[in-house]
Amino acid sequence: MSVPERPIALSTHALVAGYERDLPIVRGVDFVIRRGELVVVLGPNGAGKSTFVKAIAGLVPVHSGTASLGAADITSVPAHEKIQHGLAFVPQTENIFATLSIHENLLLAANILPKDRRQDRIAALYGMFPDLAVRPSLRAGQLSGGQRQMLAVARALVVEPSVLILDEPSAGLSPKIVAEVFSTLKAINETGVTIVLVEQNVKAALAIADRAVILVEGLLRHEGPAATLADDPIVAELYLGARHVPKAAGR
Amino acid sequence: MNPQALMDGLVTGSMIGLGAIGVTLTYSILRFANFAHGEFLAWGAYIALAASGALGWLAPSLLAPIGPFSFGWSLPIAAIAAIALTGGLALLVDAMLFGRLRAQRSTVIILVMASFGAALTLRSLLEFIFTAKPAYYTKALQIALPLGGGLRATPDQLLSLGLAAILVVAIHLLLTRTAIGRSMRAVSENRQLAGVVGVDVRKVIRTVWLLGAGLAAVAGIMAGLLVQVRPYMGLDLLLPLFAAAILGGIGSVPGAMLAGLIVGLAEAFAVQFVGAEWRAAIAFVILVAVLLFRPQGIFGRPE
Amino acid sequence: MSIELVAYGAFFLTMALTYAIMCLGLNVQWGQTGLFNVGIAGFVAIGAYVSALLTTPDAAGRFGGFGLPIVAGWLGAALAAGLVAFLIGALTIRLRADYLAIATFGVAVAVQLCALNLELVTGGPFGIGFVPRPFASLAGDPLAFSLANLGVLVLVVLALYLALERLLRSPWGRVLRAIREDETAALALGKSATRFRLQAFAIGGAIMGLAGAAQAHFIGFIAPDNYMPMLTFQVWAMLIVGGSGNNRGAILGAILVWGIWAGSAGAIASLFPPGEQARAASLQIVMIGVGLCAILLLRPRGILGEVKTVSRHIGRLARSAGKPVSEP
Repeated sequence: MSVPERPIALSTHALVAGYERDLPIVRGVDFVIRRGELVVVLGPNGAGKSTFVKAIAGLVPVHSGTASLGAADITSVPAHEKIQHGLAFVPQTENIFATLSIHENLLLAANILPKDRRQDRIAALYGMFPDLAVRPSLRAGQLSGGQRQMLAVARALVVEPSVLILDEPSAGLSPKIVAEVFSTLKAINETGVTIVLVEQNVKAALAIADRAVILVEGLLRHEGPAATLADDPIVAELYLGARHVPKAAGR
Repeated sequence: MNPQALMDGLVTGSMIGLGAIGVTLTYSILRFANFAHGEFLAWGAYIALAASGALGWLAPSLLAPIGPFSFGWSLPIAAIAAIALTGGLALLVDAMLFGRLRAQRSTVIILVMASFGAALTLRSLLEFIFTAKPAYYTKALQIALPLGGGLRATPDQLLSLGLAAILVVAIHLLLTRTAIGRSMRAVSENRQLAGVVGVDVRKVIRTVWLLGAGLAAVAGIMAGLLVQVRPYMGLDLLLPLFAAAILGGIGSVPGAMLAGLIVGLAEAFAVQFVGAEWRAAIAFVILVAVLLFRPQGIFGRPE
Repeated sequence: MSIELVAYGAFFLTMALTYAIMCLGLNVQWGQTGLFNVGIAGFVAIGAYVSALLTTPDAAGRFGGFGLPIVAGWLGAALAAGLVAFLIGALTIRLRADYLAIATFGVAVAVQLCALNLELVTGGPFGIGFVPRPFASLAGDPLAFSLANLGVLVLVVLALYLALERLLRSPWGRVLRAIREDETAALALGKSATRFRLQAFAIGGAIMGLAGAAQAHFIGFIAPDNYMPMLTFQVWAMLIVGGSGNNRGAILGAILVWGIWAGSAGAIASLFPPGEQARAASLQIVMIGVGLCAILLLRPRGILGEVKTVSRHIGRLARSAGKPVSEP
């Protein structure tokens, strides 16, 4: 449930972004997420959801507006330094290093931690994701789809980020695995990590989210508590595609 | 079969291997075939020549041969300077040319073309400064020692082989066991994701240039010591370097070394049948064969 | 205007036009198709040697020549160079973009080596002399001779230009453009996209072979030294200066860069003492090298004004000729 009294974890103000300057895909988004919230970003295909979070992560050029982490403006912080500010991003595809081992994937992320904390953090993550601890020397490319997603999430958590952004973590996974991934995300959120989740899988996402925002054609058109939105037929019809909702879980 | 071809092949092959490691690293991490890499070999050799000459002039005692070798302390000292300066040269070329082209989001092929232009510029600059006349680090003659089995090698050759072996192991350990090595492999697989994970890609790129150019300098000095120093030495080695990098599998350091040895040995054995004047064609034949039968190379995965 | 000056002007232009042919060939490969050829010198050399072999009279101690008419030599040159381009393209076009570059570089090295060492066929380091020159009967009158030669080259370049322009507007040219400008179109075409690229590469190679033959018959002798990597570099500089993708630019670029090259060579000859000229010549290469890199950095679309469609294509080339390399 929304917790408006908590401090702001991540916000954007009038954010305009896109690969080409004359063709912005995100066209002025004001967005706020408070500490400890889990917010899902919904919207039809091509609405700019993915571009929106990539712009925050520094992977898509921001043309105007700002993105802030707490009080700090991170709009122009280079992508590789955002993690040091406490912002972790898990891309939709190719989100692990397939040629590195599981352990090396985690070590890579741990590199920005002080030396004495690296082993402890990695050990803690093996505790959280026991599947990964079975054979840490396994090449990540040999993992299954679900395990890859778990590794990507684990790697993002190595540095104990304050905000975790995930771009469609359910893409390409079977419903059973999606349920597993989402319950893991919920558990992570309950440890205090703020989560922004971009999803096509509306039903499953709304089930774990506190709040949802809906992007349409690069603009934030609607927002509200997840529970209310899930039952809102007008929203479903207008922005999610009514026929889309029941099918979505089987994506 | 002449057993001496084995020794010649190994020595040439280790030189090619060291150069090919640089090619394979820049190729896998910066994503383009650098036609200027051969010039780093030549510049390394000439910087060492100039530095060694200057040291010898300042302190003639440094020219006295060390033990069984043909050169004095001036050369190893000059070699260190050459490695550092060639690395600096690579960083300079990157800052002036390749880095700017990357910032402009140029295509791979524009980078390849720019490297072609840089190669001609660097080579002709050497020819302008040092003239096209071949030069030598030392005038001392060396007697090849019998190693058994009809094999003979000069102390210089054996030293080169040992040094190449040590360097390959060191680079392999650096890539597989250290943080910067992991970062390099991560950038090579997925540059964008590496950034997301917190890897400073610019630092990785600088490391790659320093490593690649440093190894090229060592290979160039070896070539200069065992054969001669010429402005065109880099151009002549370029095709063997590319052949070895592709044969070994782009991105694989052990692959590049192994393939370098294969190219070197193939050259040494083939010239016994077809004549030394065809040496340069061997690398081309190997290149065509690799592209035909196994374009991903020995240790590469199909794309 | 003195007769010598006109004769020299005709000589200069004829030479420049042989480069213009190479440039047109490169434009088919690079400008229209985005294929990178680092072995231009090799393809030009193949053309020159094949034509020389076919047209020179039977020589003692050397294979050939066959004493065929010059036209037969030029056709043979184009066919041979086109065939080699086809083979090397078939080997590499489906692979990474820069494997083609490396392979063509290898072709140039191998051709250079053959020219030097296959003495029975190529005459070795000394090459082949007495390559028949068109209008040899006019040789007594330098002015008529150079003007006649110039006339032939003008006709060849003009015919080639018109044919290429026509080809580009044909369905074949449109498909080529679609492949180059739209990666999804290229993917949708799949295997046939590779076939179109291969055809373009072979045609470009054939044109370079023709250029080599034309140059050989115009100069009258050939030797391996004429086909060093420097030649490749010059042709690239010409196309880049003229603006790639633009046939008129390719011709103008060839004339302009050849003019700069000949001019700076003349300046070096007059400025440096005879002993220093070899060194000074390398400085000339340095300057051109820096110039090429500077153009790539500052004016990647060429120095000369361009036709609008061309600059549009260059922008799109960024997405089609290869993966963009982005700064972190």
